[in-house]
Amino acid sequence: MDEVFKALADASRRSLLDRLHAKNGQTLNELCDGLAMTRQAVTKHLGILEAANLVTTLRHGREKLHYLNPVPIHQIGERWIKKFERGKLVALSELKRQLEKRDE
Amino acid sequence: MSKQANLDPRNFKPAIVYTIYIAAPPEKVWEALTTAEFSRQYFSGHAVEVDQRIGGAFIMRTPDGALHISGEVIECEPPRKLTVTFNVNWPALVERLGPTLVTYTIEPAGDVVKLTMLQSHDRDISDDILSGGCAGWPAILSSLKSLLETGQTLAIKMQPPERMLAALKEMGIGTP
Repeated sequence: MDEVFKALADASRRSLLDRLHAKNGQTLNELCDGLAMTRQAVTKHLGILEAANLVTTLRHGREKLHYLNPVPIHQIGERWIKKFERGKLVALSELKRQLEKRDE
Repeated sequence: MSKQANLDPRNFKPAIVYTIYIAAPPEKVWEALTTAEFSRQYFSGHAVEVDQRIGGAFIMRTPDGALHISGEVIECEPPRKLTVTFNVNWPALVERLGPTLVTYTIEPAGDVVKLTMLQSHDRDISDDILSGGCAGWPAILSSLKSLLETGQTLAIKMQPPERMLAALKEMGIGTP
């Protein structure tokens, strides 16, 4: 679990996860596109994310695709969120989302 | 003509890919994926039945015995790889969305195994529809891991996401 927190404690790596969350199954080229990071840096960050099991890579034809793996994040949730709290948390997040949407 | 003429897994692109490490032998993970005795405990009470040969039936029943998933075994290499068609038995679903493939791969990784689950489609599927798998699989896999490592499952109450049900309804697909 230490590896997961270390991997998440970096804004660049979180932005790579955000990109995969927006569009899953991207190649390295797609992930680098429009980023202010060198290809080398992206490769390094992806390696750390993969070692923490937050990213899974897969060969599809000739391409190597990157997928967001939310299983470790789910496990963190299971560890600290009690069963009866879950419904209330979902309701709170939804309330926040609705209220903030109105301000846009 | 082969039964799987239209079902070459290479024509399917993974839409959801989840990986989990489990401290158990590959054979035990395989058994958990393919037997009802285990699946009832980690898959929201659903009972899996697999005829472990290419072309064999793969089905999953709800706790009340209704047929929920009906499919066919496409690849079967115990205890390493299982690919099945994983078609939810809701009216018009396969006609509108095409077949769904689920692949499990089990790889030794030191003293543990790496279990990877792929949900693949032969066409683009909207995020709204995929939200069902995105919500369900992490809970199912976490519960499977917990069961094999500790003997305890996680009591996770799962409901199909509203956005998925709304998207299915819009496409004319029946939901329970």
